[in-house]
Amino acid sequence: MKKIDARNIIKNFGNLEVLKGIDLEVNEGEVVAVIGPSGSGKSTLLRCLNKLEIINQGTIIIDGETLVDTDAKGEPKYASGEAATKIICKMGMVFQQFNLFPHMTVLENLIEAPVNVQKRDVAEVTKEAEILLEKVGLSDKRDVYPRKLSGGQQQRVAIARALAMKPDIMLFDEPTSSLDPELTGEVLKTMRNLAEDRMTMVVVTHEMGFAREVATKVMFMADGIVQEQGCPEELFTNPKNERLQAFLQKVLH
Amino acid sequence: MDYIISIIPQMLLGTVDTLRLFFVTIVLSIPLGVVLALGRVSSFKTLRTCISGYVCLLRGTPLMLQLLFVYYGLPFIPVIGIRLDDFPAAIFAFVLNYAAYFCEIFRAGIQSIPKGQYEAAQTLGMNYVQTMRRIVLPQVLKVILPPVSNETITLVKDTSLIYVLAMNDLLRTTRNLVQRDFNIMPFVVAGVFYLIMTMVLTYMFDKLEKKFSVYD
Repeated sequence: MKKIDARNIIKNFGNLEVLKGIDLEVNEGEVVAVIGPSGSGKSTLLRCLNKLEIINQGTIIIDGETLVDTDAKGEPKYASGEAATKIICKMGMVFQQFNLFPHMTVLENLIEAPVNVQKRDVAEVTKEAEILLEKVGLSDKRDVYPRKLSGGQQQRVAIARALAMKPDIMLFDEPTSSLDPELTGEVLKTMRNLAEDRMTMVVVTHEMGFAREVATKVMFMADGIVQEQGCPEELFTNPKNERLQAFLQKVLH
Repeated sequence: MDYIISIIPQMLLGTVDTLRLFFVTIVLSIPLGVVLALGRVSSFKTLRTCISGYVCLLRGTPLMLQLLFVYYGLPFIPVIGIRLDDFPAAIFAFVLNYAAYFCEIFRAGIQSIPKGQYEAAQTLGMNYVQTMRRIVLPQVLKVILPPVSNETITLVKDTSLIYVLAMNDLLRTTRNLVQRDFNIMPFVVAGVFYLIMTMVLTYMFDKLEKKFSVYD
């Protein structure tokens, strides 16, 4: 079953073509790692999936529901407000800068949207949130404000916050890029656990080790185009695309 | 000392007028300022331009002039010419003026919230109202407390401008006493009265700031 079916995504920032017709298919339980040099459009692709960026052309179908389609005139047509929100809520998003709500405690961060957006029962959501915090190893931090936490801890809270919405898909936008090297491990471990639980994931990352070991598929993007994709083993040991060869040479040595 | 005690009831009466103007202005101008600020950061260009013009005009001219204009000038304006009593006229001018200042404070506060906060809210399915009410405005509140405190203290002192409308506020009462009794003591007492009011406010804002600093 296809969880994400994005076709021919075109995105321009003014005159700059960032995505030049990208296709992305993700099946249930797949972990897709998107790698590539900065400025290649990989973060933009991810942000298009949950409407943080409005595409110029293309089709995005999430879990069988159409978020955006392009009409005969080439204009993108998004699902209406409520329908779009429902589709967006199927995807949890983890940002490079965590983006926790600083005025709320860890627990409040987790239960905010399930209670106020999904209108679920506070007691029930709280119970689930506590289980999630245990999963990411932060049970003792439930009443602490985010600024008191390390970057790695904040990012694990951000993952738990996204999971509290019970998403079908998790999107990670360079989740370890703003962390100190010694803190990336704890976040990657949390993501690895998620992958083992068969969560469908799209991960934009510079962590080649993670892409190689955890991803079921790796996509290499450069200049707004998917240059090469395939299973990690093949892609890392036997890259065919010249750009990919040069990229791997730089990041692996 | 006896003299001071003898003038205090009258001065307290004046203080009531001062406080009345102060509270009504605060209660009306802060919500108006919030609405203006939201319009000022909205995506409607015409609305943004109108509000900028409003702020420019109200901040760029003296409050005293606005006060005189509303009281003496409005009745002569064709078509809408209305004559307001002194207190409503004062309220009208003060609210318009202070809303302009609060608008700018709130706008700066709203714009200080990182884009990532909106994006996080959006990916969690929050709509505009939820995002503003639950995520943005509570954080704005903390940022704007010091400038709002400043503005509020200024307002206490600005209320004395209504003496030009012949209203018996604290300052005018004081001046009358000085002229009647040939004694400058009322000036000192008035100073103490204003000080007490601003100190109470300072104390309250300090408390609020402490309360909001829990998440630092």
